[in-house]
Amino acid sequence: MGANIYRNKKPVFVFLVPAFLFMILYLYYPFFKNIMNSFMHIKQLGSSATSFNTPWYTNYVEMIHDDNVWTAIKNTLIMMVVTLIGQVGIAIILALMVDNIGRGKQFFKTVFFFPIVISATALGLLFNLLFLYDKGMVNQLLEALGKSQLTDWKAEGIAMFTMMLPVMWQYVGFYFVILITGLNNISDELYEAARIDGASTLQSVRYISLPLLHNVICTCSVLAVTGALKVFDLPWTMFPKGMPLKSTFLTGTYMYYHTMETKNVDYGCALAVLIVVLGIVLSKVVNAIFREKDY
Amino acid sequence: MKKRVIAAMLAGMMVLSVTACGNSAENTGSDASAPAQTTESADTSGSTEEAPAAETAQPAGPVELTVTTTFAGEDTNAQNYKDAVKAWEEQTGNTIVDTSATADETFKMRVATDFETGSEPDVLFFFNGADANSFIEAGKVLSLDEIRAEYPEYATNMNEDLITDSLVDGKKYAIPVNGYWEAMFVNTEILDAAGVAMPGADYTMDMFKADCEKIKAAGYTPIAAALGNIPHYWWEFAIFNNQSPANHLEIPESVEDANGQAWVSGMNDIKELYELGYFPDNTLSATDDETFAMFTDGKAAFLIDGSWKVGGIVGSCQSDPEDPSTLDADKLAKFDVTYVPGKGSRKATDLVGGLSSGYYITRKAWDDPDKRAAAVSFVEYMTSDDVVPAFAQHAASALKNAPEVDPAQFNELQRKSIEMMAGVTSLTGAVQDLFQGDCRVSTFDGMPEIVTGRVQAVDAVAEGLDAYHNQ
Repeated sequence: MGANIYRNKKPVFVFLVPAFLFMILYLYYPFFKNIMNSFMHIKQLGSSATSFNTPWYTNYVEMIHDDNVWTAIKNTLIMMVVTLIGQVGIAIILALMVDNIGRGKQFFKTVFFFPIVISATALGLLFNLLFLYDKGMVNQLLEALGKSQLTDWKAEGIAMFTMMLPVMWQYVGFYFVILITGLNNISDELYEAARIDGASTLQSVRYISLPLLHNVICTCSVLAVTGALKVFDLPWTMFPKGMPLKSTFLTGTYMYYHTMETKNVDYGCALAVLIVVLGIVLSKVVNAIFREKDY
Repeated sequence: MKKRVIAAMLAGMMVLSVTACGNSAENTGSDASAPAQTTESADTSGSTEEAPAAETAQPAGPVELTVTTTFAGEDTNAQNYKDAVKAWEEQTGNTIVDTSATADETFKMRVATDFETGSEPDVLFFFNGADANSFIEAGKVLSLDEIRAEYPEYATNMNEDLITDSLVDGKKYAIPVNGYWEAMFVNTEILDAAGVAMPGADYTMDMFKADCEKIKAAGYTPIAAALGNIPHYWWEFAIFNNQSPANHLEIPESVEDANGQAWVSGMNDIKELYELGYFPDNTLSATDDETFAMFTDGKAAFLIDGSWKVGGIVGSCQSDPEDPSTLDADKLAKFDVTYVPGKGSRKATDLVGGLSSGYYITRKAWDDPDKRAAAVSFVEYMTSDDVVPAFAQHAASALKNAPEVDPAQFNELQRKSIEMMAGVTSLTGAVQDLFQGDCRVSTFDGMPEIVTGRVQAVDAVAEGLDAYHNQ
């Protein structure tokens, strides 16, 4: 009897029920309700759906013909590539460099991780000031270096760069900390053996660090790509309503724009469904590409 | 077996603690909203049953009212509002939880959502046009008649002809405080540098364009406006310039009719000014705050905006925006206000203005026996003969017995505003107040596409009108 109690899993379910109910109430119910709402007519935010659209799939047809949806999807995909290269890539380089220094590791860990603790909205406002057209810090520096014309960092051709730079900068530290923890888990004996065999630092990185970091890099890549789908607050703070000329919309900001700004709530619901579908498909693709290895 | 019992007990405790948290939250909310009532009930437990009967009486103890207004940010009356609230709080012992914010589209959306979700304030100072339709239709605010049934003296100091009727049922809901006008602010320092004379009552669009050309040649930006953010004022006057005060408030049936064509011409007029390079280089990507800063910093000459912007300009001339004693009078003297260039049947002196906002009492506050009297008291105080003149300043009010205004109490820009208003030939409401919701998207949010030629003005107007008529 005494040993059987460990085989009886029923009490575990009792403990799982509250969390399960919470998820049903606050995640799955709203999710399915959102799918329903995407087929309905909703007058404004907070109003109940009154009737089905005519035809019921109107919003999805509109979505296909909406140029801004394609712009948002394109920008989101660019954001994914940028986060992958800019965040994980830079984080790998920083982690490898910091791992190879004797002193000050903790200092660099803190410095690189710090942007994570600042709210994205505050960062958006900060970068707004840096990239301000008139009297912004970047333009003042360029002026001091002899540039006569002010640069509009939020103009159509350059806006995506201005938007992605702070997004990239904010999360480098996050992946840096994960990667440096991964590096710490690699046994020193391997490096010592390599040194005895005459391997250079670069060869140690190429043949020991990177192969053994493979799974950590895969995890970071999956996190970065799926995280890019959720980026919202910083781009919205810097480029509300997809300014300029609706060229900076991401899928998240475009959904928010329709839900909160244009009062086209049911179309916003349809966009939310699109984001979920996009998220599932991309997660599958990323998981397939960055498959972890068994050692 | 013992472990099973312990597991069941732990699970039970968990469920109970969740339930208890819910209950305690409810209790906390109730306690927080009516701390005085708790004391009152304890002291007069015998009369608790009779509490509802005392609905019309003054509140027994201090009451906390939630109030949302547009007196925030750069609004001229933001400080007046704070002062008035403080005075009322000291006088009554009640407290105000202020949730005011700058009157923009996000604010309007917030208010609408608050009403929809049942978290509306007790008292609201808000627009009386189409923006208010949703909560009036839902019966969530009280009409003047309903309030007067219990408080006969409520708002009797107001000229009722000037209290705007609701678009929903023709009843009066919002008690106005101060009127507004929209006109053109001028940075005279730039005009002097460019050799341009101060525009007057006979100012036309052709004269305006000639002046803009001179200003541009002198190296300044002629017009401070963020077309990608707040094109509202140019939208209004560009349309008005192709109509007259008589038909400005008529929303076109279609883009084909005369009014519809006037709207299209208005959009094309803005496009022409954009193509001539009179707006800031970054007008499509700048915020309204940025272009306003260009105006106050002496980089842009003209700014079309509302009477509420007087406070913002004065604030920019103070080393401490909160402290009027730090005003740099010389700097303020460089700003002036004049009429918006006219065209066709609209004279420059035909401006947009009126009494577009007022105080609403929500049914939520009215149905709360503790808050009803306090809400009425607050609105009566804020719309009293003593308080309204401080808010109205250089604009109109709806008071029956408006006291004489002593110009000496005003700063120079306020005095210039009063002089400018003396020459106004007509004040017409803003048609955009009637044109609400997603119908605006194609010409407001879509203004950059219109001025850059990516979308034809006629298509944008047609899209907006279709959305309006399908609402």
